[in-house]
Order: sequence, then C-alpha cells, then structure tokens
Amino acid sequence: MSSNRSLEPSSLSLNDLPWQIEYNNDRCTLCGQCTAVCPVHAIALHPFQKRILKTSVGKNAEQSNEYDTFYGIRQDTRVENACIGCAMCTLVCPNDAIRPKKNPSLDRMKFHINQHGIPRRRGGRRNDSGSILDRIKFTRISMLTDPALDAGRHEFEMRTLLGRVLSPRENMKQLREKGWIPPVREIYPLIIGGMSFGALSPTMWEGLQMGVAYLNEEMGMPVRICTGEGGCPPRLLRSRFLKYVILQIASGYFGWDEIIHAIPHMKEDPCAIEIKYGQGAKPGDGGLLMWHKVNKLIAAIRGVPQGVSLPSPPTHQTQYSIEESVAKMILSMSMAWGFRVPVYPKISASSTSLAVMNNLTRNEYAAGLAIDGEDGGTGAAYAVSMDHMGHPIASCVRDNYLNLTALGKQNEVPIFAGGGIGKNGNIAANAAALIMLGASGVQIGKYVMQAAAGCVGTEEDRCNVCNLGICPKGITSQDPRLYRRLDPEDVAQRVVDIFVSFDTQLKKIVAPLGRSTSLPIGMSDALGIDDKNIADRLSIKYVV
Amino acid sequence: MMKSDYIFIAGKRDEKRVSSRVLEDTIHQHVKRGNKKLEIQAFGQHGIGGRLWESYPDKMDIRIIGHSGQRTGSLGTPNTRIEIMGPASDDIGWLNAGAEIIVHGSASNGAMNGAAQGKVYVGGSIGARGMTMTKRNPRFEPPELWVLGAAGDYFGEFMAGGIAVICGLNAADPEQLLGYRPLVGMVGGKVFVRGEVKSYSDKDAKEVDLDDQEWEWLIQGLKTFLKKIKQPTLINELAVRKHWRLIEAKSPQEKAEGPDRKSMSWYRDQIWDAELGRGGLIGDLQETEKGTVPVITKGEYRRYIPVWEHGKYISPCQASCPTGIPVQQRWAMIRTDNIDEAISMGLEYSPFPATVCGHLCPSPCMASCTRNLSYMSPINVRLLGQAAQNIKPPKPAKASGKKVAVIGGGPGGLSVAWQLTMKGHTATVFEAGQAIAGKISAVIPESRIPADTLNAEIERINSYIKDIRLGEKVDAKKFNEIKNSHDYVVVAAGGNKPRSLPIKGAERALFANDFLEKAKANKIKPGKKIVIIGAGNVGCDVATEAHRLGAVDITLIDVQKPAAFGKERDDAEKCGAQFRWPVFTKEINSQGIKLESGELLPANTVVISIGDVPDLSFLGEGIELERGFVKVDETGRSSDEKVFAIGDAVGPGLITNAIGAGRRTAIVIDQLLNGQAPDVGSLAPMIDTRRINLTYYNPRHDPNTLEACGDDCASCGNCKDCGICVAVCPEGAISRQEKATGFEYVVDESKCIGCGFCKGACPCGVWELIPNTPLA
Repeated sequence: MSSNRSLEPSSLSLNDLPWQIEYNNDRCTLCGQCTAVCPVHAIALHPFQKRILKTSVGKNAEQSNEYDTFYGIRQDTRVENACIGCAMCTLVCPNDAIRPKKNPSLDRMKFHINQHGIPRRRGGRRNDSGSILDRIKFTRISMLTDPALDAGRHEFEMRTLLGRVLSPRENMKQLREKGWIPPVREIYPLIIGGMSFGALSPTMWEGLQMGVAYLNEEMGMPVRICTGEGGCPPRLLRSRFLKYVILQIASGYFGWDEIIHAIPHMKEDPCAIEIKYGQGAKPGDGGLLMWHKVNKLIAAIRGVPQGVSLPSPPTHQTQYSIEESVAKMILSMSMAWGFRVPVYPKISASSTSLAVMNNLTRNEYAAGLAIDGEDGGTGAAYAVSMDHMGHPIASCVRDNYLNLTALGKQNEVPIFAGGGIGKNGNIAANAAALIMLGASGVQIGKYVMQAAAGCVGTEEDRCNVCNLGICPKGITSQDPRLYRRLDPEDVAQRVVDIFVSFDTQLKKIVAPLGRSTSLPIGMSDALGIDDKNIADRLSIKYVV
Repeated sequence: MMKSDYIFIAGKRDEKRVSSRVLEDTIHQHVKRGNKKLEIQAFGQHGIGGRLWESYPDKMDIRIIGHSGQRTGSLGTPNTRIEIMGPASDDIGWLNAGAEIIVHGSASNGAMNGAAQGKVYVGGSIGARGMTMTKRNPRFEPPELWVLGAAGDYFGEFMAGGIAVICGLNAADPEQLLGYRPLVGMVGGKVFVRGEVKSYSDKDAKEVDLDDQEWEWLIQGLKTFLKKIKQPTLINELAVRKHWRLIEAKSPQEKAEGPDRKSMSWYRDQIWDAELGRGGLIGDLQETEKGTVPVITKGEYRRYIPVWEHGKYISPCQASCPTGIPVQQRWAMIRTDNIDEAISMGLEYSPFPATVCGHLCPSPCMASCTRNLSYMSPINVRLLGQAAQNIKPPKPAKASGKKVAVIGGGPGGLSVAWQLTMKGHTATVFEAGQAIAGKISAVIPESRIPADTLNAEIERINSYIKDIRLGEKVDAKKFNEIKNSHDYVVVAAGGNKPRSLPIKGAERALFANDFLEKAKANKIKPGKKIVIIGAGNVGCDVATEAHRLGAVDITLIDVQKPAAFGKERDDAEKCGAQFRWPVFTKEINSQGIKLESGELLPANTVVISIGDVPDLSFLGEGIELERGFVKVDETGRSSDEKVFAIGDAVGPGLITNAIGAGRRTAIVIDQLLNGQAPDVGSLAPMIDTRRINLTYYNPRHDPNTLEACGDDCASCGNCKDCGICVAVCPEGAISRQEKATGFEYVVDESKCIGCGFCKGACPCGVWELIPNTPLA
C-alpha cells in the first residue's frame, strides 16, 4: 500500500477483518497452492522490502544501509476480498504454513459490508451456535421394566407417516362406503429437506438423490428427499426413483412446466408435494438464486434467461388469505395426481403458525404441516433476514402439537420440523427431541451438506458464500471447475453412512425409552431441560 | 430306573409347595450328609441342582421329576449332573459353570443364557434367546448346547463362546431353524445346524465349511447326545453330513469390513444410470465428464489464468501529459541504451521539448508519477526535455503540396505547423507580432527560461517551418482570403486581450502581459509598492519581475484562495510577495487600491492579472463562439469545416495544453488531407496504480541522471523485462520469448496453476489474473 494514500471510511486493517490469515514465512515454500485455491482472492504473493542497517560509532566507521526484497503471502484488506475463513489454503498447503483464524475481537467489517448501498447477502445460516435442542435431555430411561430395549439387538420400526391419517372410525366409514381415504406414506422420519437444483450443484444434487435411492433399494430404508424450488431434471421425473422424491412448489413456480409434461410419463407417483410458503432462515422473504449460479443448465431447467438473479416473491401471488392459500394450492396439487399424492404446506416457524395449523385441521386434503425454524439454512438471503428474523423451532412445534392434542387430532395431521437439526453435529438427539415434542419427522439441509459433502460453513460466519457460486467444495456452485471437485458417488456413499449411523443413534435414544415399534411422537414425558422457563414453555420436565 | 439308588426329596409337604429357599436348604443338607443321588419332585422351584460345590470331589446326580422351575442348574458346577425327566422351564443352565443337564423334552426361553462351561442336552426344541451371552474361558472346555429340535427367536444373541448344535428334528419352521433374527451381536463360538437358516446377522456371523475334523467331532457328540436323551436310533437320520452347516462368529477384522453391501459405484453403474440413462441425472441435458477435478488444477480447469498485459494500460505520466508524450517509453529506451532516440522523441511531439518539458511546464507527468505514492521522488522528466535543446528535428515526410494556414505563432500555432511540416504539408504561420513563440518569448521572465535554450529552439523552429510571416495582422477580410487560399486554417491566436475589472479607476492599472513585456525589455519602473490583482502564476511572474525592477512591497490579492503554484509561486515568495485573500477591490485610485472593506492598499503600480481572453474579431460572423472562445469539437474543428482552433483561443490552459491541442489538430488535418475520416484516436486507459510494486526501489534514492531515472522508473503497465515473473512462478510456467514485434512473456497453460504469483511479484503491474473462460 502506498504510504501517502488517504484514508477512506472503509479503509480496513487486518485487525478489522473477521478472519485473519496466520502465515508462517519460515515454513512457506512459495508453491502458490494457497493463492490458487482461495475462492475470494483474499491472499496473494507480495514482495516485501527489508532494510538492512549496519552501523557503528567507531572511528572511521562505515555506515551501511541496504534494501533487500523478500516474498510472502499477504492478506488483502479490501472488503470485497476479505477472507471468509474457509481454510482451503490450509487444506492445500504442503507445509502447514497458513491458516485463517477467527478474529477474537468484534470485527469491524460488519460496518462496511454495505458498499454501494447493498446490504450484506450471503448463504448459510444464522450466526448463532446456541441450540435449545442440544440442551434437551432424555430423562425417562427404562432399565428394569419391560420392555427395556437394546438398540443393538432389537428390531426397530423407525418409520413415520406422511399424510392425513383418518381416525379409525372415519377410516372404517370410508372403507364401508367406498369413500376417499387420503394417501399416506410410510417413510423414514429423517427427510432431506428442500434444496433446489440450482442452489446445489448438479454433482451434489445427484449425489443426494443417488444416496437416497440406494438407501431405499439396498438398505430397505424409506428415506425421502425434497427437491426444493427449482424444478426437477426430466429424467428423474420419468424414473422409478421419483417415488423417493417430494416435489416442492414455491412462489417462483420454477420448472413446473417440466413436471406437468412429465406427469403422463411418470412410472411412479412422487412421495408427496410440498408447498413452500416460508423458509425458516429468511421468513417472509422469497427464494433467491443469484445470477452467478444461473448458467445454461439451470436456466433450462427453470425456464428462465441465463445469468439473471432469480428472486421468488415472498408470497404466492394471487392468494390473499390463509384459507385461500391453503385451499387453492392443496386442492390444485392434489388434483394433479388424482388425489393419490399427499400434499402439505411448509411454513417458516412463526408466532402465527397456529392459525395455519388450525386451518389445516379443517381441510381434509391437507396431508400435514412442515415447519422450518430460524436455524434453517439458505443458499442466499439478506444477512439481516437470516440473523434476526424467525422463530425457534422447538416451541413452535410444541405449540402446534399441543394445539392438535387439544383438538384430538394429534395422530391425524403430522408435523414435520426443520431448522437447525444437527447444527452442532447432534443430529439424532435433536431429531429425537423434536419428535418427542410432537414432530412426526424432521427435515435436514445444512447437516447433510456438512456431513455428506464436507461443507465448511459454520455459525461463526465461516465461508457462507453459497450465494456467489464459488463454493470451494463444489456443493453450491454451478461452475464445473468447482462442482467437479465433488463426486456424486462419494456424496451418495456419505448419505448412506449418515442415515445408517443416524438410525443406530436414534435407536440408542428411543430404545431405553422402551419404544421400538413406533416413533415416540409427542412423548414429552421423556424430556427434561435444566432451565425452568424453557421447561415450562415446552411443557417438559425441569431437571437439574 | 433304579429307584433305590436315589434319595427322594419331595417338593410339596402337607399339600403345600415347599418354597425355593427351603428346598435349596434341604438339597444342601443331603449334599453335606454325603448323599450323591437325589431325586427331586419339583413344583416349579427356582434353580434346582445348581451350586452343589460342597460335594467336591464327588459327583452329584440330580434327577428332577415334576415341573422343574426356572433356572434349573443355574450356577451349576462341574461335578453336577442333572436329568430333567420332562420339559424344562426358562433359563435352563443359566450361568452354567460346568454342570451337565439333560432335558427329556423341550426347554423354554433362555436355555444356557450366560453359560461359560457345562453341557445342556435338550431332547426337544428350545424357546427364545437360547445360547445367548455364552462365554468361553480358555482354562475350561467350552459350554455346549445340544438341541434335538429347533431354536426359538433371537437365538445366540451376544454369543461370545461355546458350541450349539441344533438338529432341527420336527422343526415348526424347517426354513428357519434358529428362529427370528439369530446371532445378533455374536462375537465367538460356533453353531452347527442341520437344515436351513434363512437369515441370521451377517454383520456378526458367517457360514463356514464343515471340515472333516469338525464333522468327526459332531458325529461323536451326536452319538453321546442321543444316548443321553435315550434316542440313539436317530443317529442314522441325523448323521448326514450334507445336511449340516456350520456358522461361526466373524473376526473383528471381518466385522470391520462391514456387511456385504453393494458398492456405490456398482449401484451408480448398474441401477442408477441404467434407470436414468447414460450420464445419469442430467445426461440428457449436458455432457459432463465423469470423475473429479483436482483442487489445484492446470490447463482449462484453472479458475483463473494469468495474462501478460504489457501496454494494455498507459502509465500515469503519459496519461497526464497534455501534449500526449509517451513519457514512460522514453525511459524504457534509456534502459535499453537508446538514449538519443529517447531524447529526440520529444521533437516528435513538441517543437519546444527543452523550453517547455525542460523548463516551463509544471510537469503533470511528474506530479502523477506512481513513485509519489510512496513518497519517492518522481522521475525527473525535465532532464530529458533539457537534453533535447540542441538536437536535430525529425526529417519531414515527402511534400504533399497541401497548404494549411496557422493564425498565431505562439506555442499552439507552432505546434500545429511543426506537426504539419513533419507530415509533409506546407504550413504558413501568420504572426501579428515581431517574434514567434508568443508569451514564451514576450512575457515569461528570463528567470524561468534561459535565453539560450529558448533561442536555440526558436532557431530550430524557424529553420524547420519554412513560411513564418511576422507582423501579419489578420482582420476579417484577410482571414477570408487566407481561408480561401488554404486547405485548412488553424486559429491559434491565443488569449491576447487581457480581462479587466468593471471597477472605478480600472484604467489606472496595467495589464499583466503589458507589464511583463515591458519589464522583460526593462522599459518600466514599478516603484516601491506594487499591488497585483489576481494571485495566479502570471501574477507571480509580475511580482518577481517587479522585485527585479526595484519593488519592495509586493502584494498579490485575490477573491479566492490563490491559484499560484510551483516555481512561479516559490520565486514570488522569495521576493517577499504577500498573498492576501479573500479581498474585494472597490476602486483603483492615485494612492492605490481601495477595498470594499474600506481598507486602502497603497501602491505605486497596480497590475491586473486575472487572465486573458482571445480577440477573435477577425473571424467574422461565420464561426460560432461560446463565451468569447471559439466553439470546437473534440478534434478542434469549429462550426466552419475549414477552420480549426486551438490553445487559448478555445479556452485558457497551460502551454503544454496548447502544444497538445496543436498536435492533435495536425493529426486530424493530416487525416482529412489524406481523405480519411478524422479520428484523434483514444489512448488506452490509465493503469490502476495499485498494480505497481514499489517495494523493489530504494526509497532514499533520488534519481538525478538519465540512467538513474531509467532504472528507478516503475515502468507502470509496461514490462520492464526484468524476468522476476519467470523466477517467481512456482511451476516454471512462464518463459520469455523473442517475437518479431519484440519480446513477450508467455504462459505454458499445461504447467500454470493460476496462483497469480506473477501478478503479485510484477514490479510494473503488467500481469493480471483474470477468470478463465466459463466451461459449459
């Protein structure tokens, strides 16, 4: 940097940056790998000047002043080149000479990521690692009483129902009168939630789908995956794998013509249709696929021009009330498959969700309700939406479940919970807690990206550049140079690993509760927490 | 049965069942008394026949009639033999440590659970969870469970040792002799089964070949077993080797390998792609190669590629030179020892390289020098200018026969005429005064331009431009004649009419140019006190000259912050000139200047120095003016197609601005004369100075010779040919190549990883890293 430059308001020093490069000149071999791999050009080779003074006070002493040059890696302090902490440099460095370190003090860059009046947008998650779900303990342990089950030995039916389950009386009546019985799917309670083709790279998307198909066909686990809003590749629509897929329709209606064209050629009905009304990570805001990622392929599948940003409206157009929204959308989607496919809405957790739930209980075609909490992820959103908008999932699921029990319909309208499940790696415990609070199943997104593809994003604002298409792991990029870092086969294998291991963990939790043949949905007497207020709020035990 | 051998123990007294505790006590009393054979009439009492260690070393023989209870023979010892004359209840042989137990019937759940030694022979089938948790202690023989029929569900869970033999006779489900989900968690021991086992935990156990030794052991054991359960005739039915299978626990290594699952690549190939089609999910939409791309890539998979942008951008010095001299190229010539060429290049751009570049120009090139950004002294272009004082002009091109008239022999007019002459056209200069070079010769003091330099250059101009007519005043009529007799006319009449002030007594003041002209000829005495209205550089020249001519109290006033700068201002200040602003003049009177504030500034001489405007009355009606200046387009052309205008006739500016405008207009006229469309061309954009690395230069070094300047010039945007990039590239991908057009640095893309080291190290900012072409 020039010594006589003038300061600008956004002139930052290394100390102001959220991530600081720790670099060891002595170990560095100047191989160029770190700068070649850095997704944001936060580092570069730089020549440095070294001044060598040799002085003496002796008589006739010769004072010497020389300048020398040496090279090293230097971190850029411009906002647009700020290190994102992904540590790809550390990954590739042959000499362990470089790594990003989180600035332990409050970084000042926050005050400047709004150049040209554009507030910060990013992918990822809320920058808060706290988790009520992590704090919930399973306190009701059967040891002497029967059945005291053994997760390793017993056979379990870890299955849940997706669809409107009629009461036995109503079901018998419909059977007798040859009436309509709503479609119900028996599925695995851990669902891969909606991540669009476009938000995810083709390799990631294919890997997830392949892993799910393998789980179904080779492992006998009826795992389901939701497409997210971005359409669905035509081949998948016409394959038998479609039955493992929940198709999502959202306010952007991207890719639905392909689905309509494929309906007459479908070998299988899809598992279900999810109508997305909201996303936990950015409630009240629509989907957003930034232009960086809208390449030829994505444009074709979505039916849009190349290289444009694709926002979805925050609400479905032409719908002006909960009643209308729910009635219109559910009925339209049900009709598309002759009322053979369950159709349910997905909303972001909100203090208004009870209104939606109440409405669903009165709609015979509603197959359930998916609720997405504030800790959910997103491919792109305004940071303010991500960090400050939303409702925690636990109490929202609980309120809805208890509301259903008050109506006597807790076994009829399943709730699916999402948002922050496994955010700190405790996926089975988080899932089990939500199930015992009343969810029939859970949806995961970020976890599967982290576990199945090595996403480095964290709640410490690490990486989180999913929106820019520069994902260093190739998970959320549409650039073949990046997404081909990822092999779909490897992703699929990891998906299998995740579900098989989750299955064991879930059993390890539910077995001591004495449950093996049905999920302990709403079994809140098994739950405790070391905070009286939370315990009261969730109607679970206060344990210390 | 020899009844007399056994002592009978009743399990019921007075029609009441004896409790398990009392019966246990009774049995132990008999053992203590030395009774070795007991027949116990059981009524479901717990654990009969176990724990008879008090009989050591003698053997105990227990015969149970009636309903044996749970855990018969539990914690059994090696000296105990128990024979149950009917079926057995749960947990027969529980925690058996050596007892032999014979059951003449079936046994219910948990047979042999947790046993580590001993043998249990069951003449029927067993219930659920038989042979579970069994152990093997190497100091003893392993436990054995022999079952004539089949085993119930969850057989062999967590079996860690021992041998089970399931004969499968009269099994309820001949397809599944070990019941539902057998051998889960099995880590040791083996199971012989006669018949089918449809499924078992293949995670834990595996079927192995039944070798001769095992078979021999099995035949001998079967004979013993059948004899114990008193059904020896079954041997022929059971002893058919091919009906038997042997299942063993997997080794830890085998378990670690995991169950026999299909690989994902098999699934992808055989199932996934087979269902979806070649190329998988999107194989129909785009061609994607299989396989991954490494994190560090070469060739087309690099995300960014380096480009050698030599000459793509111009240096700040060139960009800021109003004359348009490619300053930096001259230093490059110096570096390659083409010193003469570097010096004479000045004459290709200006007729006054020594006078203007070397002395009078405020040198915007030096002000913009990148080195200033690090407080290093700028490269001294004046040295180059001054060196041009006595060199020869370039040879003119072949005469074209075209004629261009230039009105005005100031720096702008001479520039046009100089350039047109160089291009072979005939330029005629009409100068109203008696000398060329306009203000340079007329008004600029000698302190700023040495006379020999100016004279040398004027002489050179006079010898180069053949037709310079002095004392030729041009009026409207004459202008029309000139216009009609020439192909083009360039108006370079300068700003020769001083601007005045609309104040009372303005006529008492002198105009700066008049003062300077008289001063230069030593024809004026300003007196002791002089006030100069207008504190620009010309005002400073007035101050300096006034001082030379005896003034001591010199004041420059202005309505705003003085615009004077550089040498002119320094010189004025050295003469003791005072600058005052903002002050507003009300009137000029005999005493001096009266300000609006009422203050009187006494002065012997008042000079108005607020700029000049051109006198364009000779142009007549046909040429459009704007605020007193000729209105021209970017090529200098006026509303009259044949007439161009430059310099102060177009707007006030520096000498170098006039020279540059003259050069550009000459280019355009040359194009028009050659029948081309006028195009002044545009220079490349200026380089972003952040690309330049100044760390290679000694910050304390002030270059003061041509050679030192060449060395210290950062060569912004132009390759210095230092080869640092070649040395720095970690992959050895950059090489220097000699081309017809000069040298070039070339990247071998099969080696380059796109690290940008070349860009980072380049002193001149020539290397850039750009995104690679997008891949489909």
